[in-house]
Amino acid sequence: MYRWLWRHLPGNWLAKLAGCLVLLFGVVVLLFQVVFPWVDPKLPWNNVGVSRGAGAITVAPHHPGPQLHLPGSSG
Amino acid sequence: MSGLEATSDVAAVSPASERTHTVGDWVRAALRGLGQLLITFGVLILLFVAYELWWTSVQTAHEQHQLAVHLQREWARPKSQIPPISTVPLGGGIAVLYIPRFGKDYHPVIVQGTGYYQLAEGPGHYVGSAYPGQLGNFYVAGHRTTHSAPFNRLAELRKGDNIYLETGKAWFTYRLENVPGDPHAKWQEIVSPYDMPISYPVPDQPNPHLKPTQRVLTFSTCNPEYSAAQRLVVHGVLVARHPRTPGYRPPAVVNG
Repeated sequence: MYRWLWRHLPGNWLAKLAGCLVLLFGVVVLLFQVVFPWVDPKLPWNNVGVSRGAGAITVAPHHPGPQLHLPGSSG
Repeated sequence: MSGLEATSDVAAVSPASERTHTVGDWVRAALRGLGQLLITFGVLILLFVAYELWWTSVQTAHEQHQLAVHLQREWARPKSQIPPISTVPLGGGIAVLYIPRFGKDYHPVIVQGTGYYQLAEGPGHYVGSAYPGQLGNFYVAGHRTTHSAPFNRLAELRKGDNIYLETGKAWFTYRLENVPGDPHAKWQEIVSPYDMPISYPVPDQPNPHLKPTQRVLTFSTCNPEYSAAQRLVVHGVLVARHPRTPGYRPPAVVNG
């Protein structure tokens, strides 16, 4: 696939190299700004607090605690 | 990928070396493609590790700086004009935390709320739990490994350690101790992720509506590191309070 990319980038090898670097930069930006921030909340080590657990979603709460359970906080 | 490869590419399509593709050519192409795919995947994973362990902390450090600047500006006003701590919106700073055991560079701003975005800014105060110095349980959760990992060293704390909190109005000293009259609330515990009672006004009691008689502090983070299997919890009780006056700092809080 990189061979295909190199063949389709315009210009001489210097321009192709520059094109590669620009594309690489774009991919890294996309990953750091969009993809990784989307994955991050789904990871186990980002759960740091306590919650009522999976059962609380379908079953009526056993005891309405004083805490407001905020969205996204398994923690 | 490399200039060398490209040269051979050009040769392959030039008429001089034109020939029919053998089965071996296809196998080689497939293996090369697979190899590149695997290398790409490996680089992707490494980038993600860099994101988790480095970039999230860079972002949190930036947000912490802004929170600290904002708090200093708010708290510089006359005390009567400082908005009550309970009116701070989600994500806003409510207090600065000092733990002498973690060194003088440790002074994270505790934010309001424990949702994903609040915890990405700093340790988060559970909305509905007590505020510093109040009767009940001041409950804060914080990251162990990512987003600056403010509670990374929670396991290094020892019984009897002091924890200092600075709010707009006062300084509060909590000491890590078993909560008096509350036999289950040990100074340090490892609990299940669903152990809500650690956050109750009278911690570690099954009833969330008990009337608190103690001023308790509870910190929690994930345990073991990089896992969500358990929560590491410490409890402390209020031992001192001092009004926030210009120039005053508890002697143990050397420098901010």
